[in-house]
Amino acid sequence: MASPGDGSRENGEHSPRSNVREQDRFLPVANISRIMKKALPANGKIAKDAKETTQECVSEFISFITSEASEKCQREKRKTINGDDLLSAMATLGFEEYIEPLKLYLQKYREMEGDSKLSTKVADNAGKREATGLQVANQPGTSTQVELKMPNHSSFAHGMTYMQSQFHGGDLSG
Amino acid sequence: MRQAGIYSGILCGKNGPHSLPLSRIKKIMKQSGEDVKMISCEAPLVFAKACELFIEELTARAYKVTMQGKRRTLQREDIAAAVTATDLFDFLLEMVSASVINDGRTTTEST
Repeated sequence: MASPGDGSRENGEHSPRSNVREQDRFLPVANISRIMKKALPANGKIAKDAKETTQECVSEFISFITSEASEKCQREKRKTINGDDLLSAMATLGFEEYIEPLKLYLQKYREMEGDSKLSTKVADNAGKREATGLQVANQPGTSTQVELKMPNHSSFAHGMTYMQSQFHGGDLSG
Repeated sequence: MRQAGIYSGILCGKNGPHSLPLSRIKKIMKQSGEDVKMISCEAPLVFAKACELFIEELTARAYKVTMQGKRRTLQREDIAAAVTATDLFDFLLEMVSASVINDGRTTTEST
């Protein structure tokens, strides 16, 4: 029934820094009520106390998932909680059904992000990867590999220089 | 070509197509533990959608209780009953039972 570790998590519920303002602990009730209405038939109504309870439940949900994701990050010695950590925390805690819609949502977001400002970078990276593959396949020389493996944005340029240097007898390698 | 479309706010923490404010979500995440310091910009976004799914599910389950009582107004007790009846919502048990007995809000408000 209860998932392991429930107790310890519940203890922290109302303790987080007592100086946190009330409006910072919850999401806006208007937004929550709008979402609640989507789940009701047209003639359904929501009492004020039900909205407030849902507000509290949502904050609890965020903390519940975040704590699990944070523990996972600590175990894996990472400092930043990312989207995938949250997804796997949700899967661990029984919210598997949310995973698919969330993945779709994230995918859409990443596409948008790529379209709007990273498109040139992405194109660059793709080009770089091709060039790297080509280089390593053709020329397994040690110096080339070291240079190309550097996760540096200029490595593409370096690669190009190297390629040219091959054609020119290697006098540009310095 | 590129207009200020529905996704224009998606990158900078504004509401955009989301129904919930990302900055507030981030604050709540940070309050959930001392270890929570760094959060990727995608994380609040995931929660914006996840909270929506969560609210819809909780509300739908609670409204079933409302209808069983031949009422039309969803009340706090209906949410408490739905939480009690659903294993998935066990983590809310302590909170709903506490808030039914005595309103947790007023007691935790003190600064």
